[in-house]
Amino acid sequence: MPRVYISSVVDAPATRVWEKIRDFNALPRWHPRIRDSRIENGEPSDRVGCVRDFHLQNGDRIRERLLGLSDHDLFCTYAILESPMPITDYVATLRLTPVTDGDRTFAEWTAEFDCAEADAEGLTNGIGTDVFLAGLNALKRQMAG
Amino acid sequence: MVRVVKSTIMEAPVERVWEVLRDFNGHDEWHPAVADSAIDRGQPSDKVGCVRRFHLSDGSELREQLLTLSDADMAFSYCLLETPIPLLNYVAHVRLAPVTDGDMTFWLWESRFDTPEGREAELGQMVAENIYQGGFDAIRSHLELEGA
Repeated sequence: MPRVYISSVVDAPATRVWEKIRDFNALPRWHPRIRDSRIENGEPSDRVGCVRDFHLQNGDRIRERLLGLSDHDLFCTYAILESPMPITDYVATLRLTPVTDGDRTFAEWTAEFDCAEADAEGLTNGIGTDVFLAGLNALKRQMAG
Repeated sequence: MVRVVKSTIMEAPVERVWEVLRDFNGHDEWHPAVADSAIDRGQPSDKVGCVRRFHLSDGSELREQLLTLSDADMAFSYCLLETPIPLLNYVAHVRLAPVTDGDMTFWLWESRFDTPEGREAELGQMVAENIYQGGFDAIRSHLELEGA
């Protein structure tokens, strides 16, 4: 089962970074690859089990279900329901941990999924670089401002 | 119950920091508060359950037992068995994680313990600053790293 792990340090307190990312419907407001997003059935975006239906800038459509959300441990876990990528059983977690030395944030973004063996390397690199690292870099830029 | 949590970023690959920290008997080589250290009964320092007996620079003796050691998670935990400092039911956890963006290390050091009534803040501050933050700074100079 391929695994993606990307981590970085954001130069802002974890509570501030969390305010930005805890909204499961807020991807277009901070992730440069996401064009629009809505929560299905008008549910609140912090209702565990809700589904976000969103588009990438290139028009690809993805649906993801919120599996876990913790304001205490500052993490969000979700699964892909529908996407153009040739993957199954995709579960990802975005987690923040305070760095007390300097009042910064350690951000970790992980995913596990199944796919054909020939696709594994390309998908791992694509998700790691285009989705996770691009997202964390965008957060670093926005929180610095 | 007092809870202390300290964390930092080390400007070194996680394998390098873990190599130093995983030796449960190695703290006298880098921690400024520890004068000398030995594992009871000559056991290896990575044997879970082993006990380190060490002295602080003021001569006081402490014994701590290794409860968990994981090379997979780059983590260990330990408890205090004997101490002249009134830290009761003291259990600490150390965990490292790679910062893939920059090849650095996230280091978390946390503990829970009881103290005599009224000394929670004083002893919590002592553990946080003298032991944990002092340890971060010491590893930084031990590995000859720049301040992050």
